[in-house]
Amino acid sequence: MPTEVIMPKVDMDMASGKLAVWHVSEGEEVKKGAALFDIETDKAAMEVEAPATGRLHHILAAPGETVDVGRPVAFIYAEGEAVGASPVAVEAPKVEAPAPVAAPVAPGADPMILAPDSADLRATPVARRLARQAGLDLAAITGTGPRGRIQRADVEAALARTKPAPVVEAPLVAKAPVAAPAAPITWEPQPGDLNVTTRKGSGVPLVLIHGFAADSYGWRPLEDALPKDQALIRIDLPSHGRSPLRRVAGFADLAKQLVQVFDRVAEGPVHLLGHSLGGGLALALADIRPRQVRTLSLIAPAGLGPEIDGAALNGIARAGSVDSLAPWLKRLTARPDGISHDFAKAAMLARLDPALREAQQELAAVLFPDGVQAFDLTAALSRIAMPTLMIWGRDDHILPWRQALAAPGEVALHLLRGVGHVPQIEDPATVAALIGRHLRG
Amino acid sequence: MNAQVQIDAQVRELSYAEAIREAMAIALERDPAVVLMGEDIGTYGGAFQVTGDLIDRFGPDRVMDTPISELGGAGVAVGAALTGLKPIFEFQFSDFAALAMEQIVNQAAKLRYMLGGEAEVPVVFRMPSGSGTGAAAQHSQSFEAWFGHVPGLKVVQPSTPAEAKGLLLAALADPDPVIVFEHKLLYKMKGPVPAGHYITPIGKAAVVRPGQHVTIVASAIMVHRALEAAAKLAREGIEAEVIDLRTVRPLDRETIIASVKKTGKLLCVYEGVKTLGVGAEISALVAESEAFDYLDAPIQRLGGAEAPIPYNPDLERAAVPQMPDIERVARQLAKGEV
Repeated sequence: MPTEVIMPKVDMDMASGKLAVWHVSEGEEVKKGAALFDIETDKAAMEVEAPATGRLHHILAAPGETVDVGRPVAFIYAEGEAVGASPVAVEAPKVEAPAPVAAPVAPGADPMILAPDSADLRATPVARRLARQAGLDLAAITGTGPRGRIQRADVEAALARTKPAPVVEAPLVAKAPVAAPAAPITWEPQPGDLNVTTRKGSGVPLVLIHGFAADSYGWRPLEDALPKDQALIRIDLPSHGRSPLRRVAGFADLAKQLVQVFDRVAEGPVHLLGHSLGGGLALALADIRPRQVRTLSLIAPAGLGPEIDGAALNGIARAGSVDSLAPWLKRLTARPDGISHDFAKAAMLARLDPALREAQQELAAVLFPDGVQAFDLTAALSRIAMPTLMIWGRDDHILPWRQALAAPGEVALHLLRGVGHVPQIEDPATVAALIGRHLRG
Repeated sequence: MNAQVQIDAQVRELSYAEAIREAMAIALERDPAVVLMGEDIGTYGGAFQVTGDLIDRFGPDRVMDTPISELGGAGVAVGAALTGLKPIFEFQFSDFAALAMEQIVNQAAKLRYMLGGEAEVPVVFRMPSGSGTGAAAQHSQSFEAWFGHVPGLKVVQPSTPAEAKGLLLAALADPDPVIVFEHKLLYKMKGPVPAGHYITPIGKAAVVRPGQHVTIVASAIMVHRALEAAAKLAREGIEAEVIDLRTVRPLDRETIIASVKKTGKLLCVYEGVKTLGVGAEISALVAESEAFDYLDAPIQRLGGAEAPIPYNPDLERAAVPQMPDIERVARQLAKGEV
């Protein structure tokens, strides 16, 4: 049996020692009592003597390595003793057991995601939860918090980067390719009760009001298609996106809450753009603050007729998983493949909070009781005088495009073929071109 | 009748001490079982002049000076409560409650349980509390966590004149012993107080400033420091949500958890010693709750120093959280720097 050379305990409170240098090389002869290697402890450096005479083999610790007290660092074989395999299995580099992944990967999720969490990875609970639920690998995200900790904002930024443009059929895209996004945009939260973000730019800003169960992120494809210097103000409706959950008594109450925020964030004249419920609200806002609104753009606005696909609204508001959300999202587009799985996943990520879903269901019950639009904005539409543009998809399954015919003759109507309820996502280039012209007058 | 309601709904500016006195006067008028007890609360008007002239208005049978023995006085109050009265017992300083722990902790808090629910102890202990008056180590402590640790007691910490009145009237309406910690520095603070009888519910915290970036849970005078800090942070675009805890036992879990789920960041600010204090309990309840998965930063606490309150005014200030401390930590939390 070879003699084990161990890391000695040379100090009362020493738990491990750092091997500084070997005085004897692998296979060399060594005499008992001769200097074999040096160690460095917290307090001192010292020489360790060979515990036996023979040849040194199986060096387990390289200079600079820290070894626990009592662990072998090499073996000394007596003269003539056969040198076999190392008596100690060389330890593989320490790898912590991967943290268990609590949520199963959503079916169809990319195989590259969900690599086991590295043990020394720092992430806040909310960052871990969001990454888990979105199927993002935390190890691939750079933390900007203290000591590299991954925070909520880091996961959201990573998600925004990976969030793919919705799958739209080639012919539509080929018509006018969407410009590649320019430099990363910095969004700044404005103080206020609702979550408001802005994009700096020149000229009169365009205020964006999203639809029911959507949020400001939904404007991204359109924003990329709009002129890069177009200033934007995006508002998350109550109980949507990053705005607080808030009880809403009815459409008028919702409009009132929006006006309060609008008055705070809109310093001068603005262009106004709303989609669906946000279209109805933009119309109401234009009616309440006519002097401040230069132009009004409405995409499939709510409030111009009683019909609406209440089942889809409730289904989206209620859905607690990608699998239950995706089928309803497919109703939004003209083509059933217009919403990719990744898009559904990203949409679900924005709706993880059960309280938010609860609040939106309540909102749906208030605004669309029994699957009916309980508010009528046709009078407002005939009152307003600013240049108004209306865009509607002819294959809109949520709000029938014929409601557009309620508009007076002064309103410019664009009824897009092969497009459903979300033209700004299905055909952002066309929508951006129409709105761009409209804003320029 | 309508006129009466109108008069009752009137709101006046009163000091915290005046609001407490008004609450006691209303209680004395409404309920013959209510009596006040305490050292020098009669002719002298109380160590902090809170009872004031009540002895002139209600006489020495209802406003009773007790001998200089906290244990004896508290014992009489507990016994009176057991046998049908509703005593409000004033300690000159909450620190002196240490002398009466037997009656408060071993008797008042336990009797309902030990007598199988057959007995009630509807006693209220008023305790002038906290530092900042230069009264040094034995007259400046914050014992909320001590009493909050005892099942059978309820513990409240009003932060405004209106709360001081409403919580005292709620304490009187409660069938169990309630400890009211009145912050000495707040006695002169003025604020709107509704006239007439009303109750601020025990066990309910109040969101006194809404915000979405960081939650600050504070109590008593710390509420005001937190609000001041929040106002400064708002100029930088940081919206802090400030929760006035109001009640230490039972804690309002729902309000705290809902807020932390919204902001993802929690700062607890309390004057009592930081270790094993009220903020420790709040931190733990959040960490144990569903709000854990919403946390985006380590929970932070600002509490009293691990030392008796010093006499030196600079050291006294340094021993408890001040506005700039709250502003600094809340900003770091909001910016993701903690």
